[in-house]
Amino acid sequence: MRDISTSVPKTDHWEKTAGTAKYVADLAPEGALHALTFRSPIPHGEIRSLVLPDLPEGYASVDARDIPGKNGVHIIQDDMPVFAERTLRYVGEPILLLVGPDKTVLKRLLSAIRLETVPLEPVFDDRRADVWHHYVKGDPDQAFARAKRIIEYEYQTGLQEQAYLEPQGMIAIPEGDKMTLIGSIQCPYYVKNAVVPVLGCTSDKVRVIQPPVGGAFGGKEEFPSLIACQAAVAARKTKRPVRLIYERPEDIEVTTKRHPARIRLRAAIGEGNVVEAIASDIRLDGGAYLGLSNVVLSRSMIATTGAYTVPNVSCSGEVYVTNTVPTGAFRGFGAPQIFFAVEMFFQHLAKDLGEDPLAFKLRHLAKQGDLTATSGTFRDPILVPKMVKRALEMSDYQNKTRRYSGESPYRGLGLSLFFHGCGFTGSGEATIIKAEVQLRKNADDTVDVLIAAVDMGQGAKTTLAKIVAHTLDLPLDRVRFPYPDTDVVPDSGPTVASRTVMIVGGLLEKAAQKLKARWVSGVAVQLTERYQPPEWIKWDEKAFRGDAYPAYSWGVDVVEVSVDPRTYQVKIEGTWSVYDVGKGIDERILEGQADGGMTQGLAYGYMENMEIKQGVLRQRNLTDYIIPTACDCGPYAVEWVENPFVYGPMGAKGAGELTLIGAAPAVAAAIENAIGRRIRKIPATPESLLELIEYGKR
Amino acid sequence: MVEHRIPENLNEALKLLYHGDYQVMAGGTDLMVQRRSLSDTPLDFPKNMVYCAHLQELRGIRKEAHRVEIGAMTPLEDLLCHPDVPSLVRRAIGEMASPAIRHVATLGGNIANASPAGDTLPVLYLLDAWAELRSLAGSRMILIRDLITGPRALKIHPEEMLTKIGIPEMHFSHETFVKVGGRQADAISKVSLAAAADIVEGKVSDLRIAFGAVAPTVVRDETLEGAWEGATLSELKVGVWRLLDMYVPLIRPIDDQRSGKHYRHQVALNLLRDFIESLSEPTSEPGR
Amino acid sequence: MANVNFVLNHTPVAVEGGLNRRLLDVLRTDFGLKGPKEGCGEGECGACAVLIDHRIVNSCLMPLANCEGKDIVTIEGFSETERFTVLQKAYSECGAVQCGFCTPGMILASESLLHANPHPTEEEVRIGLSGNLCRCTGYNMIVKAVLLAAKEGEGLW
Repeated sequence: MRDISTSVPKTDHWEKTAGTAKYVADLAPEGALHALTFRSPIPHGEIRSLVLPDLPEGYASVDARDIPGKNGVHIIQDDMPVFAERTLRYVGEPILLLVGPDKTVLKRLLSAIRLETVPLEPVFDDRRADVWHHYVKGDPDQAFARAKRIIEYEYQTGLQEQAYLEPQGMIAIPEGDKMTLIGSIQCPYYVKNAVVPVLGCTSDKVRVIQPPVGGAFGGKEEFPSLIACQAAVAARKTKRPVRLIYERPEDIEVTTKRHPARIRLRAAIGEGNVVEAIASDIRLDGGAYLGLSNVVLSRSMIATTGAYTVPNVSCSGEVYVTNTVPTGAFRGFGAPQIFFAVEMFFQHLAKDLGEDPLAFKLRHLAKQGDLTATSGTFRDPILVPKMVKRALEMSDYQNKTRRYSGESPYRGLGLSLFFHGCGFTGSGEATIIKAEVQLRKNADDTVDVLIAAVDMGQGAKTTLAKIVAHTLDLPLDRVRFPYPDTDVVPDSGPTVASRTVMIVGGLLEKAAQKLKARWVSGVAVQLTERYQPPEWIKWDEKAFRGDAYPAYSWGVDVVEVSVDPRTYQVKIEGTWSVYDVGKGIDERILEGQADGGMTQGLAYGYMENMEIKQGVLRQRNLTDYIIPTACDCGPYAVEWVENPFVYGPMGAKGAGELTLIGAAPAVAAAIENAIGRRIRKIPATPESLLELIEYGKR
Repeated sequence: MVEHRIPENLNEALKLLYHGDYQVMAGGTDLMVQRRSLSDTPLDFPKNMVYCAHLQELRGIRKEAHRVEIGAMTPLEDLLCHPDVPSLVRRAIGEMASPAIRHVATLGGNIANASPAGDTLPVLYLLDAWAELRSLAGSRMILIRDLITGPRALKIHPEEMLTKIGIPEMHFSHETFVKVGGRQADAISKVSLAAAADIVEGKVSDLRIAFGAVAPTVVRDETLEGAWEGATLSELKVGVWRLLDMYVPLIRPIDDQRSGKHYRHQVALNLLRDFIESLSEPTSEPGR
Repeated sequence: MANVNFVLNHTPVAVEGGLNRRLLDVLRTDFGLKGPKEGCGEGECGACAVLIDHRIVNSCLMPLANCEGKDIVTIEGFSETERFTVLQKAYSECGAVQCGFCTPGMILASESLLHANPHPTEEEVRIGLSGNLCRCTGYNMIVKAVLLAAKEGEGLW
C-alpha cells in the first residue's frame, strides 16, 4: 500500500480549474430577491427615529421586529443582535435589510432612509473589560521575590483581515415552513444552530448546504451565522428566496478580523539567566460584541510561555469591548498574537542579559514530560531541537548571522519556535462539540463520507476521503465526499481549530476500520462513530488547569530579510521552516498549507496594516488593505519531521494554523536584527521602521 | 438621462464634445473604480460618456525627429515593450499596477486622471513632455506640467480631447525612477522620484528632479535644478544637503490610509540623496 | 439602443445597450458564464480576469462599450483548449489550487503570460501573476506550475 503522505490529485481540481465550481454568488434560485443592508453610521448611539421611503410593490424592509424568535446570534456568547434595535455599537452595525428584485432601486431606497441618532460617547480603548481570566502555575510571587533581575516589556499586534478571495454570501430559500440556507461557510451546524432560535422553529425546519467556499481562514467561522439569520428572517417575511451577497468594501468594513492585542510580559530571571517566572497580562480588543472572543483569549493565555518551560506562571487575560467592528476567528485564533509577544520577549531577554537569543531559547525549550503553562503535560516527544538543527543548516543561519552582524547592515535573520494546540481548547471536543461522523457503504461498493467538514481550500475533501480510502484499501474514486448538507450529514463539528484531520479524520479512520471488518461486497451498510475523549485529558475550565489540548504540532521558522535603507521597505529574501504535524496525510496539500500560512503570517508581521480612526476603518478595499502578490513571496524551503500521534489518523496532528504562527515573530526578529532596533509592535511597516530608526531602542 | 456613445472616429468624438457635455473614457481603469456601483448594476456616471479607447487614430507610437509621439489611447503595455519609448517612461510603466491593468490603461488616461500618485507623471514632467489637445477648432500643445493644475484637475476646455503625448528626446548620463508602494507590485505609490542628470566632463550639464505623491501635483522646480548647472560633480555631492534643504518646503505630503506625512517626506529626501550620491563620472556612452 | 458586437468564446455575439455595464456583469448575467468571479470589483484581485485579444484584462473594469469588436475568451472557452489541459495538469501537479476562487483568473493570467512569452523566467512569471491575488497559497506553487506548463507545453505557445 502506498504511503498515505504520497500526494494525489485533489478531488475538486477539475471543477476549480475549469471554472465550473459554483460558489454562492454563482447561484440564483428562481425568483430570488436581492438584499442590501442599512447600517449604523456612528460608532455609538441610540436610534431616535428611522423613516423609510415609500417602498414600491415587491420591496420590503426587514428588521428586528420581523424576527419570529430571539434577536441574538448564537455562538459562544450570544451578545450580538441579528439587527440592532435601539443601541448602535459600531460603524456598520446592521439595522435592517431592504429586499427586492432590482438592486438599482434598492440602492436608491437605501440612500433615502432617514435615520436620526442620539450619539453616545464611543469607547476605543481598553477601559471596558468584559471577560477576565486568571491562572497560576507554581509560585510566581515567590519567584519574583527571589529574582536576580526582573525584565518587563509590552508588545502590540494589529488588526488583520482574512481577505479570503470570495466575499461572504448567503442565500435563504423558504419552502413551506422549511428554511434552506446556502452559504460560504466553515461550519454548517453553527449556521443551523444560529438560525433555529432566530426563526423560533424546530431543528428539523432548518437545512444548511455548503457549496464550494472561496477561502475562509476563520472569517467564515462565526460571521456567516449573522447573515444567515438575517437572510432567513427576510426569506420568511417575503416568502421568497433572498440573496445576501457582500461585495469587497462591505465585506472588509463589517466582517470580523483578528483581535488586536496588547501583551505585557514580565520575567523573573534567576541564577544562570534562567527564566524562573513569567507574569503576563494579555488584552484583546473584542470590538463591539464578544462572540468567540472568550475562546480566542483562552488560546492566547494557554500559550503564554510559548514553546518554553517556565516553572512559575501568573497569567491574566481580558477581552475589552470597544465601539468598533467585532473581531473574531482568524487562523491561529489568539496564538499568533501571543507567539509574537513571547518570541520577541525571549529575544529581548537574551539581548538584555547579554546572551545569544537562540541559545537562550533552546535552554528554555519545553521537553517531553514537562508541565505546560497550565500545568498539563507534554506527553509526546518534542522534536524541536532536531528541527532547529535542520532549520539552521537549511538557512545557513550561523554563518549568515555572523556575516550580517558585521559588514552588512540592513540585512538580517530571525528565528521563531512555536507550537499549535490541535483541536478545541480544553474539554470542548467532549463537552461542546461531541462530533459524530458516518460512513455509508452503498450496494455498488462505493462509500460516502457523511460529515459536516468544509473544504474551504485546505483540501479536506481530498485528505478525509483519502483517509477512508486508505483504511478501506479502496481506490480513491470509490470514496465520495459530497458537499455537506445538514439534512444528510451528522454534526462532525466546525471546520476550525486544526481539528479536521486529527479529530474528524480520526473518527473516519475508526469508522472505516469498523466498516472494513463488516465489509460484504454488494451489501449496503451505514455506520456512525462518535468522539470519545482520551481518558487522560483532564481540564479544569474554571481554574485554567490541566491539558488544554490532546496534541501539539510544532514548528521552527527562519526568515531572512533585507531592508531598503532609503525607503525602509522590507523584502523577504528567504524562509526556511521545519514542521512537526505528526504524519502528513498528503505532502502536496501540506506544502500548500505551509506556502499560504507562511505568506499570511509574514504579511501579518510586516505588511498588512489596518487602522480604525474614531470607529471608522481606514483601509476599506483591497487597494488600501495591502496583501502580498506573487512578487512579494518566496523562496520558501519547507521540511517535515514525522512524529506520529497515537490518537490521530495514521498519526496525523493539526497543520492548518501552525504554518502561520511562527512567521510574524521570525520576520520581526529578522527586521530587528537588520535595523538594529527593537521591534515590539506589528505590523512592522516601513513607516514604523522609520520611527524606530529615529527614536527606537537598540 | 446620461448619454453613452461609441464614436466611429475621432472627428465624431470631437463633435460630441463640441455639442454636448461629455466626458471621455479611455481604458477606464480609473473611472470604473471611481464611479463604481453595486455588482450587476450599470455604473453611475454624472455626465454623458464618450468611449474612445478603440479609436485607431489615437493609438500608436511614432518616432519623429528629436521626439517620440504617443497616441493618447495607446495601452501602457504597448509602451512597456517599445524600443522608441524613453527608458524612464518604460520604467515607470513597469512599476505600474498589473499586466491586466496595463493591457487596457492608457498614457492619456493616466495624465487626464491627474492623480497626485499617477505613476507616469513625475517622468513626464521630468522629460518636458507635452500633450496635444484637439477640438473641432483645431489643436494646441501644452506642457503636461502646465496642463495639470491639481488633483484630478486639468486646464482643458470641455470641447477638447487629449489626443497625443509628445516626449522630447533627451540624453542623460544618469537617470532613475523609484516608486515606493505598499508591496513589490500592483500598489499605489506612497511616494516616487524621477531624477536624471547629464554629467559631462565632470560637470553638471543638466539636472532634473520630480517627485510624485508628495504634493497636490508633481513637484518639479526648474529654478532649483538650474542652480546646479555648471557645478562640478563633487560640488554637487558635497552640496547634497543644501540641495535637499531646498526641496524641504516643496515636499508637502499628506497623511492618508496608505502612508504618513513624515514617512513620505523623509523617504522623498532619502531617494533624492541616494540619487545624487550615486552619481559618478560616466565611463561609457551616455544612455537615453 | 446600440448593439455592442464582439466574439465571445469563438462565437460572435451582440449585446444590446447598457454601454456603462461592466463586462463582468454581462458575462455572468447575460451569458451565464460564472467562471469569472468578483473578488474586489476594482481591478485589484484578478478573479474576474478574461482574455481580450489574447491578453489578460479585468472584466470588472471593462465597460461594455470598450468591448466593441474584441475577441473575448473566458475560462469556459479557454478550458476547451490544449493549452488549458497542459496548464491544469501542471496546476494539479504543483498543488497550485486551493479554494479555487482565484484559479480561473490565475489560469488566464498564465495563458496571457505564456502567449506573450513562452519561456518566462521565474521573475517574469511572478510579474505576470502580480495582478492576481491568491490568499490560500504563497504563490510559489502557482509560479512552479506555470514554469512546468511552459516546459510541458513546449511548442503550444
